[in-house]
This record gives sequence, structure tokens and C-alpha cells, in this order.
Amino acid sequence: MYGWIWRQLPGPVALRVVEALVLFLVVVGLLLFVVFPWLSPQLPFNDVTTG
Amino acid sequence: MSTGTPVRNSHRQPPPGRTAGDVVRDVVRGIGELLITVGMVVLLFVVYEVYVTDWISAGKQREATAALEDRWANPRTAQDRPLAGEGIARLHVPAFGPDFAFTVLEGTGDETLATGPGHYADTALPGQPGNFGVAGHRVGKGAPFNDLDLLQSCDALVVETRTEWFVYRLLPLAGEVPGWAEGKGAAERCRGVTPLPPPYPEVPGMEIVDPGDASVIAPVPGRPRDSALPPDAQAQLITLTTCHPKFSARERLIVHGVLVAQYPKGSERPAELVEG
Repeated sequence: MYGWIWRQLPGPVALRVVEALVLFLVVVGLLLFVVFPWLSPQLPFNDVTTG
Repeated sequence: MSTGTPVRNSHRQPPPGRTAGDVVRDVVRGIGELLITVGMVVLLFVVYEVYVTDWISAGKQREATAALEDRWANPRTAQDRPLAGEGIARLHVPAFGPDFAFTVLEGTGDETLATGPGHYADTALPGQPGNFGVAGHRVGKGAPFNDLDLLQSCDALVVETRTEWFVYRLLPLAGEVPGWAEGKGAAERCRGVTPLPPPYPEVPGMEIVDPGDASVIAPVPGRPRDSALPPDAQAQLITLTTCHPKFSARERLIVHGVLVAQYPKGSERPAELVEG
């Protein structure tokens, strides 16, 4: 999977490293600010009220 | 990872003699990478729940506090009940340090609780007869009630409103009631803290209940809401609720306190705020 992604990235190695880093940060950002805020209330870890 | 042109080329154009073993290796490697990735995402979710939500909530709590102080300085006219999501009071817990204070907001919706502790909208307001019920997160989202289980009987819960300071103290814990008046209850800091008189059932300073038990925030804790005493016969109580055990929502940790003192707001801050 990661080998395949690496081979799709265009440009010389130095540029690919930057591209891979940007791709990684985009995925982490999507998880932290879109996926997890949606997921968190669906899970039962944070129910603090009674009744 | 490729290190030079020849290797990369060999990847782009696999030699015609790819064996079944090569294919199996690719599939196994793909599954392995996928599992590692899922593990990292789950770890990141834990970091999000425990730390990132703290940072986000700290900003929201700061804004809510600023808005509350602004409203206290410039009060609206004839406002009886606060609006949902608005700050209504400051909760100080001196046992957690002299700086421990959170702005309590009206309502117990997810968004409200991500900003700070939330007041159960159908319970009493600070200082009123009945039960001032407040829910708060134990882990993440500011975790205002993280250490609630460390409180002892007689520890102060000081509620600051626009015009008053209300000093509540934890009721005797279960097991401390027999001999309370001669024992711990005789201490100076326990002045005003006694087991609640009948018709109140025994209301301990701390208890652990099932998630569905709404009676803990009733005017008479432990009794259904509709069998409440007339308001002028009700004690002035505070009840804090959070999840229990930590990182779980299997049960609820409940803390009950009773009003022991009340001061108009002036230049002096109550001495109770700096006790350990």
C-alpha cells in the first residue's frame, strides 16, 4: 500500500518526501478535525449525565 | 522504498516472471500495512480524546468565562432563566487548588459540555432550595471533574454568581454518618455539614450509581422528582455528576454537597477559596 503510494508520487526523491509529508498531515488533519469530532459523540466514553 | 533508478524501474516494470509467491507476498504485506495503519489511527483517536479535546475546550472555556464576566459587568434587564449554552456561574473547588475554577453553562448538551460543566436545566439555580445539578467531563474536553473521586467530606464547592458567593460542602461519606457529630463533624471546617434530616433518605457525599438513575439530581436526592417537598422545606444542595470509572461510561460518579454559607460579593473573596 505505502510502496504503491510512493510510486505514484511524481518528481525526484526530495520532492516525494515533501509530498508524502503533506499527504500524511492532510490525513491526520482530516482525522482530527472532521472524522474524530463526528465519531466521538457516537461512542459511549463521554456520557456524564444521568437519566 | 526506492534508493535509485534501477530499483525504481524494476518496480515499475515487474519482470515477466512474477511468481505466485510474489503475489502472496504483496497481499500479505498489504494486509500488514493496513493493520498497522488502523492501529495508528486508533492511537491517534486516543490522543484526540484525551489531549486534543482539552486544547479545544480550553479555548471555548476561556471565551465562555470572558462572556460571563462581561455579562456580570453589564447585566441584561429582567433575565430570570439563562439561555442554553450561556455561562451562569463559576465553580471553584479549593481542594483542587486555589486557581481551580470553571464557568458552568446552562444545559447539558454535548456542545455545552465540551465548553465546561453544564447545569441540568430543570434543577435549582445556585443558592435556591432544591438541588443545583451540574454535569462535567471526567476525561478530555477540559476534564473539569477528572479528580472528583478524590474529594473528601466537608471539602468546599464554592459557586460564584453575579451577586453572591455560595459555599457548599460535601456531605458525610457513606460510613461516616454514625458518630458524625462527635467525630469528623466536630471539626471547624465541617461547621454546617450534617447528615440531612428526615424526610431525606441518606444522601452520602459521594456515590456511584447507574447511568439511568436520574433521582440523584432530584430536589430530594434518591426520591422521584414529583414526590418532592415544598420548596421552602427543601435543603439547598449541589450535585455534581460525571462518568465512572475513568475512560468509561458504565456508571456515574455523584458528589452531593449542602449549602453552609453565603456571602454577598464585595471586595473580599471568601476565605473558603484558599483552603487546601
